[in-house]
Formats: sequence, structure tokens, C-alpha cells
Amino acid sequence: MAKVSLVDVEKRFGSHVVIPRLNLEIADGSFVVLVGPSGCGKTTTLNMIAGLETISAGQLFIGDRDVTDLPPKARDIAMVFQSYALFPHMTVFDNIAFGMKIRRLAKGEIAAQVRSVADRLRIESLLDRLPKALSGGQRQRVALARALVRRPGVFLMDEPLSNLDAKLRIEARSFLAKMHQEIGVTTVYVTHDQSEAMTMGDTIVVMKDGVIQQSASPLVVYNKPANAFVGGFIGSPAMNFLELGVDGARLVDRSAGFDMAVPDRLRKTLAGYGKLKVTLGVRPEALRPVPRGADATGAPLLSIEVVQHLGHETLLDASSGTHRIVARVSAADDSRVGETRPFFLDQDHLHLFDAETGANLSP
Amino acid sequence: MSSVAAPAVQSSRTLIRLRYAAPKILATLIALLLAAVWIGPLALMVVTSIKPNSEFLNGPFALPIAPNLDAYWKVWEGLNFGVLLENSLVYAAIGSALAVGLAVVPAFALSRFDPPGKRYIFALLLTGLMLPQQTVLIPLYDILRWLHLFDTRIGLILIHGVYGMPSQILILRGFMTTIPRDIEKAAQIEGATDFQIFTKVILPLAVPGIVVGYTLNFIAIWKEFVFALVFLNNEAIFPVTVGMLKLNSDRYISAFNLPSAGLVISQIPIAILFIFAYRWISSGNFVGSVKG
Repeated sequence: MAKVSLVDVEKRFGSHVVIPRLNLEIADGSFVVLVGPSGCGKTTTLNMIAGLETISAGQLFIGDRDVTDLPPKARDIAMVFQSYALFPHMTVFDNIAFGMKIRRLAKGEIAAQVRSVADRLRIESLLDRLPKALSGGQRQRVALARALVRRPGVFLMDEPLSNLDAKLRIEARSFLAKMHQEIGVTTVYVTHDQSEAMTMGDTIVVMKDGVIQQSASPLVVYNKPANAFVGGFIGSPAMNFLELGVDGARLVDRSAGFDMAVPDRLRKTLAGYGKLKVTLGVRPEALRPVPRGADATGAPLLSIEVVQHLGHETLLDASSGTHRIVARVSAADDSRVGETRPFFLDQDHLHLFDAETGANLSP
Repeated sequence: MSSVAAPAVQSSRTLIRLRYAAPKILATLIALLLAAVWIGPLALMVVTSIKPNSEFLNGPFALPIAPNLDAYWKVWEGLNFGVLLENSLVYAAIGSALAVGLAVVPAFALSRFDPPGKRYIFALLLTGLMLPQQTVLIPLYDILRWLHLFDTRIGLILIHGVYGMPSQILILRGFMTTIPRDIEKAAQIEGATDFQIFTKVILPLAVPGIVVGYTLNFIAIWKEFVFALVFLNNEAIFPVTVGMLKLNSDRYISAFNLPSAGLVISQIPIAILFIFAYRWISSGNFVGSVKG
């Protein structure tokens, strides 16, 4: 087991800077998820940790060793690829044993280790098969076994679940999380799927354009996003953003008939903000329809356009002027398409973002 | 719907079906025609080879009245066909192995790396492919003389190997680019050296490509004529193509069944090789390596 430190790491392809000065500390034994949209640099970062991409500038430490210029095999890592990357001409046994054979371990020891890891991953009956005779889930386990058998200091995973169907993916998610709890190896996991990030990591590192936007625990990232990008990327359905005018301690959009007082906790922030426009971030679950007949003074009115029943909850696609808003409400909600209803905004779950920089202004 | 309308509906359905089927029918007819163009001469060759010559002169396209294998025995004995076949086999088998052997490493390098001037390397390779044989006859003749390899099996094998290399590089490179990079990276992570990655992962996976390239090169050498004619004088080391020239002499000039029999015999090894290679080509070696 080992911690991983990236110090001022930079990656350039020719003159094109893909990752400008990245600093990240991954604690020993933690499960860190790098998440972000395609092209955000998460896989490049993982490949640099693996040694599959060179580091243009800066240093990489695994444990206390500077591994910046070491080849992958000298870094004490193992990796699971999105494509599994099994050797198609070798049996499951030979796939798992490949690294040990390269290191010229004794045959008996190789067999014992392969069987032990195969037993743990419940693939012992598949050892004589070729990868083409395996299902997607089984291939994924073989890839995992090949990585596990090395007993690495750091486990790297590049979207290992994205080729599985939805049901298997959820199974594999909890399987991986459990496995991490058991063996406790430092794990760096790359995904573009924010729900995977939320459910699996102790720490989520949200990236965009090669820059870390926020690095924190899943709940902190969710409840206190560092900026509008993180707020919009983490959470499904995504956070609603409304660009509003600032009028003293009120947020207004006259054309949409929107006018609300800023919650007390944000009043001071807004007073010191000094710009005319601000972006209000509202999580879908922070919107609640005002019960019919109850006092709705000051509650913004939303026109409901689509009602999506998901069984355990309902999503309402609504609008207010030009603003499009999604609300997550209880399955028992009786809102109908075409009606206009007042909604309460949960004051504790409102975020204010700088309309220009996107930075979260909320304390 | 009234019963009167039913036949109308039926006929319009037939029309629609016909409209969809028409292109398929046309394509099948064209394919059959093309097949006939290819198979016709082959069939004629086989039929001619088992007809006495007199029968052929009476009706070149007629089926044989008294079929026999006399022409085969005559060709086999008269031309010492066994030796010709052996020579051809040596040239094609070793020459192709040499061509493929010379091509694997550069093909791998070109499929993976971006060396400066890659475009020019390709242009050079293509030039090598497009050079007509005649343009290199004299330089090659000089080189063989200089190496004291003129009129030797080794000399011809070397020329076939080198001449076949550019096309092998292109074929193998194309094939190797389809081998997923992740497989290589996985081997790298597992601690394999570049050489181990090449020998333990890439080469085994490139076998179908190597078989395809080898087969094509084998066929090319098997039917090659000009190099063998120019660079060999000794009858004992002639390949089939040059050896069969004898059938063109006065003695056999009007005996059509003999060259036909010779041609049939000379095609058999190619047919066997193709059957063997086809199994490899369609082996689907990559299934299961990547993706679900």
C-alpha cells in the first residue's frame, strides 16, 4: 500500500498543454475517483500515474519514491482497463499468470497464487477458458484478478464498469467497493459517470480541461460544490441554474416574474458581491410544490411541462420564463402537465455562483 | 375490405416484393456471370488435360469421350515435374518466410510509432511496390553476380524475400494497427519488456495477418516467371513456371493436353495452401480481448 502524490505535474502534447500544473495527494489506502467529462484529462492523469504516458514536467511519488521517470513495472501498480485488455490468445489462467511468468516465479507458486485469486473472485471454474468464451462480467473479473494477483501498492482503474450492462454495473460497483474495504489498497478510479463517483469513492476529484475543480468527499462535493461546473456535473438530474439580477437582497428576473429574497445566510455574501448578475444554483430536490390551498406568498411560479414518474419519485420538467427547471418531488405528487404551481425553494440548499467565473459564493 | 379488392392487394404486394428482390436477383446473376468467367477457363483446363489431343483438336469445348490421365504421366515424367514442384516450393516457402520475417518488425514499428518522416517511409515502400520487375532486372543481375549468387537457389530466394517485403510491411502494418493498444499497455504494466510484448503478445495475435501475408506472397512467388527465367540457367533448379516452358518447344507445340495437365498439377499446392490459410483467416482471434 502506498500514497500517491502528484506535484506540479504537467502534460503537454507538442505545444498543446493538456494538463497544466496538477497537484494531488492521494492518501494511503483511500479510494479516489477522478471524474469529469470526456477530454477533461482524467485518463491522461491515470496513465501518467501508471507510467503509460510520460510526465512533461513535475514529479510523481508513489509512497516516498520518486517514480516520475520509472517504467510501469517499477512503480508497484496494477491496472484494470476499460476494455479489460485480456490477452485473447491466452487462457484465463495464463492471463492471470502473465506477469508472474514474466518475473519467472516458480510454477508451483504461480499456480497457487492464480488459484487463490481466482477463488476470491469466483472465477476458478473459468481458468481453462479463452476470453472469447466469457461473458462481459466474467472478463471484468479476470481483468481484476490479473491486477489483484500482483498485490500492488496502488490499484488503477480506467472506467472498468463502462462496458457492463446496467444491472451488472451496480453489482460490480458494490463488489469493487467491498473488495477495497477488504484489501485496503490505494485505488485511483477513473470514470465519467458521476453516480459511480458518488457511490464508490472516499474522495472525488472533479476535473475539467486538465484542471482539478474540486477534491473532496462525495457529500461535500454534492452539498458544497466549489463552482457551477461541479454543481452541474455532480448530481442527477443536474443542478438547475438561473441567471438572475441582483437587487439589494433580492434575486429578480422581471421578465419571468421571478422575485425572491435571498436567504439570511447568503445576504452578507451577496452584499459584498458587487456585480449585477448572479447565478442561482438549485438542486432538483430543493424544489417542493406548495401544497394546494396553502399560503404561497413569495413562492416562484413554475409551469409544468413534463411529468416523469419513476416509481419511487417523480421528476417535473418546468419553466419560469426562459428558465428551465427540473424538480424532484415525491411519487405521490399530483402535479399535472400544463398547470402553473408555486414552489418552495429549500433555503438551506441554494447556492450562489459568480455569474462570470462560476465560483461558489455561498459560505 | 371487400373481396373484390383482395386480388389487387395481392398483386401490389407481389410487386413490392419484386421491387425489393430485384436488386438481389440482379446481383446474384452478375455474381454467377463473374463466377462463370473465372471458372470457365479452369474447367476447360481440367477437361483438356484429361482428353487425348486428337479429341481436343476435333472439339476444344466438347466433353471428353475417352478421358484418361496419360497427359499427367507424360508431363510428370517428361519434365521431371516432381523436381520442378520441389523447386517452386522451396522458392515460395522460404522466399515468403523471408519476406514476412523481414517485414514483421518494421510493420510493428510503423503501426505503433510516429517516427519523423513516416510519410516518406511509406512513399518509399509504395515505390518499392510499384516498381515493375523489368526495371530492376539489370541491377539485380549485377548484384547477384557480385555476390556470386547468380544461378543459385539462395540468390533467387533472397530476391523474392526482399522484393516481397514492402507489400508484407503494408499488409502486416494494417493488421497490427487493429490489435488493441490496451492489450500492449496491459502487458507493459505486467512488467513485460518491449521484446516480450512483441514476442508474447503481438506476434501470436498477428498470426492471422502473417498467414494472410505469407499466403499472398507464396502465391506471388509460385507464379513468378521473369526473375526465375533471368537469374537461373541450371535446369535442375528451375521452378514450375520456367520448367514448363519446355512444353512450348516443337515437340509438344500442338499437344494442348500436356500444358493443361502441367497447369492443373501446379495449381494443387496453391489450392491446399489456400484451404489451410482460409481456416486461419476466419479464425476470429480477437474475440473476447476487449469490450464486452
